[in-house]
Amino acid sequence: MMTAPISVSGLVKTFGRTRALDGLDLTVNSGEVHGFLGPNGAGKSTTIRILLGLLRADAGTARLLGGDPWDDATRLHSRLAYVPGDVTLWPGLSGGEVIDLLMQSRGRADRARRQELIERFDLDPGVKARAYSKGNRQKVALIAALASDAELLILDEPTAGLDPLMEVVFRDVVRETRRRGDRTVLLSSHILTEVEELCDRVTIIRDGRTIDTGSLPDLRHLTRTSIQAELSGAPGELAELPGVHDLRTEDGLVRFDAEADALGPVLRCLASLGVRSLVSQPPTLEQMFLRYYDRTRAEAGR
Amino acid sequence: MNALTGTARSARLALRRERSIAPWWIILLVGLALALVSYINRNMPTPEVMTTYTTMINRNSFFRALGGGFVVPDLGYMQAWRSGGFLYVLNGLAALMAVIRYTRADEESGRIELLRAGVLGRQAPLTAALLVAGGVSFAGGAATTIVLIGVGLDPAGSIDYGAAITMAGWVFGAIAAVAAQLARTARTARAIALSVLGLAYILRYAGDASGQYWMKYISPIGWSHLVEPYWSDRWWLLAIPAAVTAALTALAYRLAGRRDLGAGVIHERRGPVTAPGLRGPISLSWRLHRGLLITWAAAIACFAAAAGGVSTLAYQFTEAPGVTVDNLLKAFGGSSGGGAVDFALWAIILIFAHVIALYPVLMVQRLRADESAGRAEAVQATPMTRLRWAAGQLVVAGLGTAALLAVAGVVFGTFYAFLVGDPASDIARILAGTLGTVPAAWLVGAVCMLAYGLVPRASVAIGWITWVAVAVMGRAAGPLYGLWGGTPFEPFHYIPNTVAGAPFDPAPALTMVALSALLLGGGLFALRRRDFG
Repeated sequence: MMTAPISVSGLVKTFGRTRALDGLDLTVNSGEVHGFLGPNGAGKSTTIRILLGLLRADAGTARLLGGDPWDDATRLHSRLAYVPGDVTLWPGLSGGEVIDLLMQSRGRADRARRQELIERFDLDPGVKARAYSKGNRQKVALIAALASDAELLILDEPTAGLDPLMEVVFRDVVRETRRRGDRTVLLSSHILTEVEELCDRVTIIRDGRTIDTGSLPDLRHLTRTSIQAELSGAPGELAELPGVHDLRTEDGLVRFDAEADALGPVLRCLASLGVRSLVSQPPTLEQMFLRYYDRTRAEAGR
Repeated sequence: MNALTGTARSARLALRRERSIAPWWIILLVGLALALVSYINRNMPTPEVMTTYTTMINRNSFFRALGGGFVVPDLGYMQAWRSGGFLYVLNGLAALMAVIRYTRADEESGRIELLRAGVLGRQAPLTAALLVAGGVSFAGGAATTIVLIGVGLDPAGSIDYGAAITMAGWVFGAIAAVAAQLARTARTARAIALSVLGLAYILRYAGDASGQYWMKYISPIGWSHLVEPYWSDRWWLLAIPAAVTAALTALAYRLAGRRDLGAGVIHERRGPVTAPGLRGPISLSWRLHRGLLITWAAAIACFAAAAGGVSTLAYQFTEAPGVTVDNLLKAFGGSSGGGAVDFALWAIILIFAHVIALYPVLMVQRLRADESAGRAEAVQATPMTRLRWAAGQLVVAGLGTAALLAVAGVVFGTFYAFLVGDPASDIARILAGTLGTVPAAWLVGAVCMLAYGLVPRASVAIGWITWVAVAVMGRAAGPLYGLWGGTPFEPFHYIPNTVAGAPFDPAPALTMVALSALLLGGGLFALRRRDFG
């Protein structure tokens, strides 16, 4: 079996008195798109920068494409492409120059692919970087990375600053990549819909530690749908159903949150109670994030 | 809403930021004025000695060009003649930088946008910048006046001198205000204003050197010189810069009132759409920093050409007392067969060498700037990892240093040879002497690289300290402090003075190259081992 392109275990990194990584584990399998989630300051960028050989881990092991990220940096980097979370460019260089620099220092540059992506992302490559908006700087790094034929893409919050249209283009390009199946992507992101849409597996970290990892169906148990219903009778056994939370009744309206697995029984129960109107709302991203981190915080407190 | 609403608040903010900048400029101005009073008192203690000096200066167009016109044997006048050339330029420079700092630089960074979204008039930032910069210029001039009256110089002359200094600041503040409306970026605005300052200096210099005084009358720096404080006291001539300041300020307001926030009159140029040649660390470094090298080469060439005019000075040196030649001999090495002129040439070559040693220092500092700004991060994720990235920069810096010294040697040698010397032998001799200093300049840069690898946060400060220490301890600056013997604590001391006939000795050069290699290796090794970013 092929070794995993990224395998990290027990990674520790401290900056002075701050412990940025505290025994982090991360495994990314070949050919998958792997979501890397966590709140700000959780250690996502630090992990990525250790994988790129920019920082040296204090403890733990990190393997990248079968090599050591610190010692073999130059050799390994010809096989990967990276988009930093905060793209800073040389103000005097044009976007086209930066794209060429990044592509060519990696080796071969596919001009046709470069041109195609510049058009799809609607970037003007002749503009000096100092005149680019944040989103346009992001596009420069994205085009350089996506146009390469690197076998591993490391994307650190790549769509921060992109408008919704460009986000769609980004998702399309990553999906095409995924369909080809010969590339591995590590995608760090805050945007859960993006992760849900693109990723095969995800790893969630907090305070420098891995708190969950698995496939997306595993993640879905986190999501709860808010439901508001007008019933002809009393809610009765609804509150007793597994997966129903925070049930409250006011003015004949029942409001509660239901876990994804519980939706079927809940609907059957609602039907039997005589439902007059029904509004269901998928949870917002913030709600999900907050709920997940609340839960882990509560568990940590126990 | 009035266009000036909020000016007071803006000015207070600018003053708060000026607190850590303006005092240094003022100390510099006053310090220079005082230093030159004591310099003249020390070197020209009696009226007879002073007359000897003034006669020599008046006969020599190079000296006249340097200080600004003919001289008379009077302490106040000599002091203003000697220091004015610096003080007018420095005060102009301080005002120019301040105005751009609080107008275009703040606009480019988006800080003005943030403030303008509140209750702040369109013209408030410009007004605040002009008020603060003008106030600092005035403080610089007034402080100089007070201190000079304090040391016993003529009060009326001192007031005129202070007014001339202030006015230089005001004119360049107004020039910068216009430049800040024209350019879209602070960098371009600074380049425009600094070019005007450079041009003004050159016009003034050329006017005094050639006796074509009309050039002085069209130079903003020249206007301050024309006051001739302590002698003619033509304070009313300051009406010219006052009128120009008013006109330029009005123009700046007009431009500022018509344009959009963030827009300029000059459009940002587009860059190339592709860059097929940009593929390695050396080509990257060259693409990023070629502008710096070209600017340096142009400036060095200008000054080398001007220094070629030293030829007239050089022959007067032969009339200098024997003890001076002895001092030079002691200080600058060379063989006793070398003439006084050769020592003067060597002294100038060393000034160029010390100045050019700043170039590798700046290049290493740019590595740090790219690292801390995060610009280097994206390339670090390519096979161009930090060792190759830094090494590319070092190659460009090393060759650039040598190229700058070559430019200095060729231009200076050619001007000297054709004006005074012998083109057949002098160009080669001067070029060889200049190139001989390359290893010492490399060594200065290598110290900075070691600092960058080991202690990146402190490396910029260490770089400046290293360069200033070398220049101050160096023989070029040493004589000003009476250190004729030179100081063995800086590398240029060990370069043989082949221009004055000292035998060429490869040992110092080889030692310095080896030492540089060691320091660079150590710096790269440390860079490879530490965390990056």
